[in-house]
Amino acid sequence: MASIPGLLFALLLCALFFSPLPWKFSLPWVPSLAIDFAVYVDGLSAQFLVLITGIGTLVFVYGAGYLSGHPKSNRVFTLLALFMAAMIGAVVSDNLMVLFVFWELTSILSFLLVGFDHERESSRKSAQQAIMITGVGGLFLLAGLILLGQIAETYSIQLLLERAPLFLSDRRLNTALGLIMVGAFTKSAQFPFHFWLPNAMAAPTPVSAYLHSATMVKLGIYLLARLDAAFSDLLFWEYTLIGGGTITAVFAALQTVYERDLKRILAWSTVATLGTLVMLVGLPGHGAALATSALFFAHALYKAPLFFVAGNLDHGAGTREIDNLTGMRHYMPWTAAAAMLAALSMAGLPLTFGFVAKDAITFAKTQADVLHLVSYATVFVSGLSVAVAAIAAIHIFWGKDTVPRKAHPHEAKASMLMPPLVLASLGLLFGFFPTLIDPLLGASARSISPGFDASKVNAAYDIMPVLEVTLGTISFGILVYLRWDWLHAVLDRIRHFETIGPEACYRRVLDALPRLAARQTRLLQHGLLPRYLLSMVAVVTILTIIMLIGDSPVWNWPEVKTLTIPVLGASTLIVVGGLATLYVYDHLVLLLVSGLVGYGSAILFLFTGAPDLAFTQFVVETVFVVVVATVLVRLRRLSPEKINAPKEPRLRPLSLAVAIAFGTTLAMLVLLVSALPFDSMLTDFYAEKSLPMAHGRNVVNLILVDFRALDTLGEISVLMFALLAALPLLKLVKDKHR
Amino acid sequence: MTSRPLIAEVFMRWLYPVLLMLSFWVLMRGHNAPGGGFIAGLLAVAASSAYALVFSSSEALRRLPLGPVRLAGCGVLLSLISGLPAILQNLPFLTHLWVTLSFGFFQMPLSTVMLFDLGVYLSVWGAIGGYCLILVQAIEEEV
Repeated sequence: MASIPGLLFALLLCALFFSPLPWKFSLPWVPSLAIDFAVYVDGLSAQFLVLITGIGTLVFVYGAGYLSGHPKSNRVFTLLALFMAAMIGAVVSDNLMVLFVFWELTSILSFLLVGFDHERESSRKSAQQAIMITGVGGLFLLAGLILLGQIAETYSIQLLLERAPLFLSDRRLNTALGLIMVGAFTKSAQFPFHFWLPNAMAAPTPVSAYLHSATMVKLGIYLLARLDAAFSDLLFWEYTLIGGGTITAVFAALQTVYERDLKRILAWSTVATLGTLVMLVGLPGHGAALATSALFFAHALYKAPLFFVAGNLDHGAGTREIDNLTGMRHYMPWTAAAAMLAALSMAGLPLTFGFVAKDAITFAKTQADVLHLVSYATVFVSGLSVAVAAIAAIHIFWGKDTVPRKAHPHEAKASMLMPPLVLASLGLLFGFFPTLIDPLLGASARSISPGFDASKVNAAYDIMPVLEVTLGTISFGILVYLRWDWLHAVLDRIRHFETIGPEACYRRVLDALPRLAARQTRLLQHGLLPRYLLSMVAVVTILTIIMLIGDSPVWNWPEVKTLTIPVLGASTLIVVGGLATLYVYDHLVLLLVSGLVGYGSAILFLFTGAPDLAFTQFVVETVFVVVVATVLVRLRRLSPEKINAPKEPRLRPLSLAVAIAFGTTLAMLVLLVSALPFDSMLTDFYAEKSLPMAHGRNVVNLILVDFRALDTLGEISVLMFALLAALPLLKLVKDKHR
Repeated sequence: MTSRPLIAEVFMRWLYPVLLMLSFWVLMRGHNAPGGGFIAGLLAVAASSAYALVFSSSEALRRLPLGPVRLAGCGVLLSLISGLPAILQNLPFLTHLWVTLSFGFFQMPLSTVMLFDLGVYLSVWGAIGGYCLILVQAIEEEV
C-alpha cells in the first residue's frame, strides 16, 4: 500500500540530488483564459514535496496497521492517495488558477476524510464545519486571486513575483491581498477561523497526522510564503500576518490547557504552530525565511509522530483522555520511546531539530524589528509547547500507574511503531547534523525571501539570546506542566469565551440559516401560480427600471418608417390578440387568443428579415397550443366543477399596477433600444465569414452549429437533463392520479 | 373517449410520416436556407403532439424511436462525438471538418457539422417531445 508514495519519495530525493532546482514544465490548458498547466518547482515547493511524499509514505504504512481489518479501509487509502496527488499538484503549480483548483480538491478530500465515520453525528458535523469554513475561505481566495491576476495581468506566479514592483502602489492590491489572506487563514486554521481544525480530529489518526498537521493545513501558509517574496514590504501584509499569526498562536496555546483529550491537545498545539508560521512569514528579513522553512520541517518531524502515538494509545489502551493514561511505559515501551524522542524535539531541547527551528525563530526576531509583545508571545507559545510535550511524553508514559482499567493495554503492531520512531529519530538526526538538511532549507528560504544568503545569516548569529530564550521557555514550560491540572481548573471556570467566541457565532449562524430559509420559503413559495407570476413580473420591472435609470438614457423618438401591409397586419393581429385576452375568462379560449399574439409576432419576424425566428415561433406556438389545450381539456374532464367554475371578473389593483408598470417599462426599453444607432459589427462579421469559414449561407444556423457550437452542445444537454429531472415529477403526478 | 375521430385518424396515419419527412428536409436544408436542427426538431415535436392529439400520447410515445430519454441522450452524444475528430487533428474541440466524396460526375460534401445538427435535432425531439407527451400521458391515463 505504501509502495507508491514510497517510490515517489525515493524518486524525488534522487531528482533533488541530481538535478538542480528550479524544475519547469508547462502545458497549455485553457489558452483562451491564459491558464496554463504550468509547473515550477523551486526550494519551497521541493520542501513541501519532500514532506508530502515522505510523511505520506509513513502515513500509508501506519494506516495499514491502524485500519487493518476495518471494512472501509480501502476508502481511506483511496482518498489519501487522491489527497496526496492534489497536494502535490497544489505545491508544484505555477498558475494561480491551477493552484486554486488543487486547493479546493484538498478541501473536498479533507471533508470526505473527516466525515469518514459518517454514522456518527459529531463526525458529520465536524466534516461539515471543515468544508464550510475552508469552502467559504476558498471563495474569498478565488476572488482575491482573480483580482490579483487582473492587477498583475498574469496568473503565473513567477511572472507575478517578477512584475510585483510595478504594481505595488495599485490601490486594488490591498483588497486582493486581504481576500487571499482570508482564504489562507481559513485553510491554515488562523484566528478567528481556527475552530474547525480541532473538531476535524474526528478523522482517523493517520488522516489527522497527514492532513491536519503535516500538509494540508500548511497549504495556506505555503501560499502566503509564496507571495511573500513580492509583498513583504507592504505594511498591510506584514502587520496582518504578524498580528493574525500571533493572536492565533497565543489563543491556541492557551486552549491546549482546556483539553483533556490528547489528540485535541495536539490539534490546538498544531494551531499554535500554524500561528507562529504565519507570524514568521510576516516578519521581514532573511532570518525569518530560514526560520519558516526550518519550522515547517521540525513541526512535521515531531507532530506527526505524536499523532501516531495518540493513535497507538487509542488502539492499545482504548482511550485518549490524559486523565486515564498514566504509566503507559509498562505496557507500550516502544510507543513510549517514540513519544519521548518526538517530545524532545517539540520542547526544543538542544541537539534536536526542534532546537534548530527555535533557534532560527529567536534569531529572526532579533534581526527583524518586532514589537516586544510579539516576542513575549512567541516565548509564551514555545513554553506551552514544552508543557504539551511533557504531557505527551512524561505524564502519559512515566506517571504513576494508578488508573483502574478493565482491559490490559497492549503495545501496537510494528507497522504502527516504525513510522513514529523513524520520524522522531530523524528529528534527532537533523538536530545533531543540521548540515544534512541545510541545502533544502536554504533553497526553500531563498524562494520565500529572494537573495537569501545562508552565510550572512550564520555570520550574524549570536548564541546568547538563543540560550536565554531556550532556558526561559523550558523553565516556563515545566512550570505549566507541573501546574497543568490547577491551570485547567482555573481556566475551566472562566470559559465564558465559548459563548461569544467565533465557534459560537458559527453555530448561531448555522442554526439561524434554516429558520431564515423557512421563513423566506413561507413568504415566497406559497404555491399560488398567479402570485408567482405577479412577483416575477414585479421583480423584472423593478430591475429594468433600475437599469434604465442607472444608464441615464437619452430619449428620442425613432423615426417613423412607412409601414408595409404585412407588418401592419401582423401588428393588428398582436394588438387584437392582446386586447381580446382581457375579455375572455375561459381558459381554452384564452389560450387560443393568446396564440394570436404569438402568430402575429411570427408574421412580423417573417417580414422583417428573420425567417428562422419566424419559423421557430410558428412551430413553438403550435406545439404549445396543442399541448396545453390537450392538458386543459383533460383537466376539465378531471374536475369540471373547479376548472369550469365561472371566474368572477373583478379588479385586482396590485396586478393592475404591476401590469401597467411592466408594460410601460418594456415600451420605454424598446424606445430606448431603437433610438440607438444599430451596431452592425457582429452582423458584418458573420455575413462575411460564414461562407469561407463554415461553408454555409444560413448565418443563424451556422452560429448555432458551428461558430457557437459549444453553447449549443450545452443547451441540448440542458434540455436532456431537464427531461430527466421532469420524469420523476411526472411519474409522481401519474401515480397520484391512479 | 367513446367516439373516435375516424377521419382524423386516417388522415393522421399519412400526415405523421409526411411531417417527419418534412422535418428531416428542413434539417438538411438548414445549412444554406432557413431551417436546421432546432427548428426541424420542433417540427418533429409538432408531428408527435399532433399524433398524440388524434390517437393517444402513449401511442405517440411508442413511435418515438428509442424512447424519449434515449433519443435525447443519443442526440447529445452525437453532437459530442461530432467534435472529437477535430481533437485528433489537433484543432480545438468542435471545429467542424469537411470532406467531399465524389462519385465520378456527382460530388457530395460531407461534414461533421451534419452530425452535430442531427444531434441537435434528435435531442430536441427527444427532450421536448418526450416532456410534452409524458405530461399529457400523466393526466390522460386516468380518464
